[in-house]
Amino acid sequence: MTKKIKLKISARLVKKRTRRAGGNRPKSCRFCVDKAQVYTVDYKNSTFLKSFLTERGKILPSRISGACARHQRCISQEIRKSRVMALLPYSGPSF
Amino acid sequence: MTQKYEALLLTIPEITGDEAKDLEMQLDKVVRGAKGATVSFERWGKYKLAYDVKKNEYGVYYLMRFDVDKGTNLINDLKTYINVKLSTIVMRDMISVLDPKAPSTYQRPRSLEEAPTREEGFQRESRGSDFFLSADNGNDSDED
Repeated sequence: MTKKIKLKISARLVKKRTRRAGGNRPKSCRFCVDKAQVYTVDYKNSTFLKSFLTERGKILPSRISGACARHQRCISQEIRKSRVMALLPYSGPSF
Repeated sequence: MTQKYEALLLTIPEITGDEAKDLEMQLDKVVRGAKGATVSFERWGKYKLAYDVKKNEYGVYYLMRFDVDKGTNLINDLKTYINVKLSTIVMRDMISVLDPKAPSTYQRPRSLEEAPTREEGFQRESRGSDFFLSADNGNDSDED
């Protein structure tokens, strides 16, 4: 009978797996839950859209913003329209 | 079938009241030429822009809402009119279709002309003064 060799996983891989696994809490999209909030996603409403940007003006990914794919696309589209109209920056050190 | 549209215009900060009225009349003329009707023409006010547009740090926004029948070429005509005839005044424009189910009210950022709530903002801005106040209260002065 051959002995089963247990390979030692490197610390780097362990860290990567735990980071990827993350929290298993089921996060629901706030726009799917409350349909009326969808109308606040508007390129004119830059104060609301600012909460979906990082400090440097980058759009937050949906795994952090908690939005579902459909609403993440809406948010991204409105942010890009807002950027064209100079209501939100494209990038910056902080704003 | 009437379709609702809105156009957000970003103009130069030095725009005068007369120029704004002219702008409104000219755009209204274009809309009426396509048998549409202007619903509203609002001045948002002067804003500090997120980045310099045509070397201007500030700009004045105008929001125009209008209804027109589907099938007309109004949107393209309006865009060419703004980009060609009004290029000296209007720096940016964004024409979009309005969802008929969406409410007509909208939220917009606060302009420079609107009075800010100074009490709250003031406290947060002057973090440095808090630090110095606490140093004085602790009697840690190095004065001779």
